[in-house]
Amino acid sequence: MNGKRTAAYRLSVSVALFLAVMTGIEYFVAIDFPSTVVLLLLGLFKAVAVVNYFMHISRLWRQEGSH
Amino acid sequence: MSAVTSAAPVAHHGHDAAHGADHHEDNYAVAWRHNRLGLWLFFLSEAFLFGGLLATRFYLWQENGVTMRPPLNQVVGLVVTVVLLISSLSMNLAETGLEHGDRKMFMRGLVVTAILGLIFLFGVMIFEWGLFPSIHETELSPSKDVYGAVVFAMTGMHAIHVISGLVFIVLIWNLGRKGHFSQERHWGVEACAIYWHYVDLVWIFFYPAIYLIGKATHH
Repeated sequence: MNGKRTAAYRLSVSVALFLAVMTGIEYFVAIDFPSTVVLLLLGLFKAVAVVNYFMHISRLWRQEGSH
Repeated sequence: MSAVTSAAPVAHHGHDAAHGADHHEDNYAVAWRHNRLGLWLFFLSEAFLFGGLLATRFYLWQENGVTMRPPLNQVVGLVVTVVLLISSLSMNLAETGLEHGDRKMFMRGLVVTAILGLIFLFGVMIFEWGLFPSIHETELSPSKDVYGAVVFAMTGMHAIHVISGLVFIVLIWNLGRKGHFSQERHWGVEACAIYWHYVDLVWIFFYPAIYLIGKATHH
């Protein structure tokens, strides 16, 4: 149980770190290489991570009750 | 004989009770799935609202075919974005904590999320809206030009969702404090967490649209 919990917390922190790195990249892309397409693509990658790992969209297709 | 006749109804009743409990759990599971689908459909409808605001931004913020943006403070934009991002992490840790029986993490995560949400909200109100000129003055105004109008519309609509998310968090925290929610039954917590992440999701697209994309105008 504790191992599962630790793994779940680790995943949360990993996703947040990914989002932080992507935000930093966005910031520097906007300053050094301003491209609307690149910035929107970076935003899209972040959105996929949030929808998948934080909002648990896959639970919509699960048959059992909660998670 | 009487033992047989009296035991039979008891056994029958016991079976009914167990069956009733199972049925109750099934109902909860079914309701949970339906609620989850309903919430996602609500998000879909909200996406049209926020998508409309984004389309407005790209349509109006142009000069001679060049995409423009208002001269906002980049550091403020980055800081409030990071604060909202960390609040998403704390909310996820709260939800994950409850799912794994860690009530302390659940309750602390909610408190941290609410505090970070308030910091984000006041950051926008003070540094972008200039609601407290004694602290910070801004050139933006909702009625001055299209830049101010769109910034206030986008951040205003987003702020309304942050406020409703904060109210949601306080309600869930209060119920959690009273012992509500368990590992098996916590639809309210999941809904609150998903809603908060949706607020973050919207900002993921609003941040580059407001602060990063386009050439800064000079006022």
